[in-house]
Amino acid sequence: MKDLDKQLTDAQADLFGRTSATLLRQGAQNLPANIKDRLHAARMKALSVRKPEKVLMQKPVFAGSRASWTSGPNSLWDTVGWLAPVVVLIFGLIGITQWQNDSRINDIAEVDAALLTDDVPPDAYADSGFMAFLKNGPLSDSTDSAADSSLSK
Amino acid sequence: MASAQELSDFLSSVEQRAFKQAVYAVRDDDAALDIVQDAMIKLAEKYGDRPEAELPLVFTRILQNRIHDWFRRQKVRNAWVTLFSNMGKKSDERDDFDPLESLSAPDESEIHQDGAQKLEQSQLLQSLESEISKLPVRQREAFLMRYWDELSITETAKAMNCSEGSVKTHCSRATQTLAKALKLKGITL
Repeated sequence: MKDLDKQLTDAQADLFGRTSATLLRQGAQNLPANIKDRLHAARMKALSVRKPEKVLMQKPVFAGSRASWTSGPNSLWDTVGWLAPVVVLIFGLIGITQWQNDSRINDIAEVDAALLTDDVPPDAYADSGFMAFLKNGPLSDSTDSAADSSLSK
Repeated sequence: MASAQELSDFLSSVEQRAFKQAVYAVRDDDAALDIVQDAMIKLAEKYGDRPEAELPLVFTRILQNRIHDWFRRQKVRNAWVTLFSNMGKKSDERDDFDPLESLSAPDESEIHQDGAQKLEQSQLLQSLESEISKLPVRQREAFLMRYWDELSITETAKAMNCSEGSVKTHCSRATQTLAKALKLKGITL
């Protein structure tokens, strides 16, 4: 009983494991024929649905360019392939920002020009009384009467 | 990247081992075959383009996951079966039925033979396989991966999704349990 309770040392445990594995491997070789057939069929089925291999694209080779540019996993074309769209995107964004700025400045300039060339001084538009005057003041009445008189003539 | 031929060779080299490992776990040949087939298909379908060196570890993980899935499904199925069988249980069934009574005792000549002659290799293998089947799941996985699949401790830890220390502990416990169980049967490896 004492012998049974004795623990294996690491080396003994390792040897035991390896010996067991050898036995198990031998046992696995002697499987019944029907099991082997079914395993074979399973393997064939698995191979039939295998993930297709990636087809490497033929890359253009320019005359005079070094072979290393177009070959190898980090060739020049690989770098250009991702760098070019990034550059185009950055320039595009800069262009759009610039265009928006210009358009905003033009709009402000137009409003400024309209205000400055108008007969009424720009400060008048900030005056609430002036707005009321425009709506209901005598200017609108006099304009109407002037129009009437010109029509009667 | 593994070619079709390399993948075929790899599957051919592991299929029998995978089957046996699945049998130790589920103790049913048909279920084990289904598990191995599922694992092979998953490997070919999803990881068929991986380098050949990665295949053993990936396949081991897939196989273990498939075995765990099978146990999960069984658990659910058994729960339903138990529920329905309890509902349809007849009242006149014998309550005093003892399954031990239905077991036949081994033939005396067999016992004599067993005690008299040395165990042959097939019997030895049978005993070993039977003891491996009785091991706790994690111990069995660690033991088989380390010694049969010949994975390193790091690879085994990766495949089992645990620490290297746990792998060493599982392996050591499995080895001690197996050695003790075989010694009880009078077998020393």
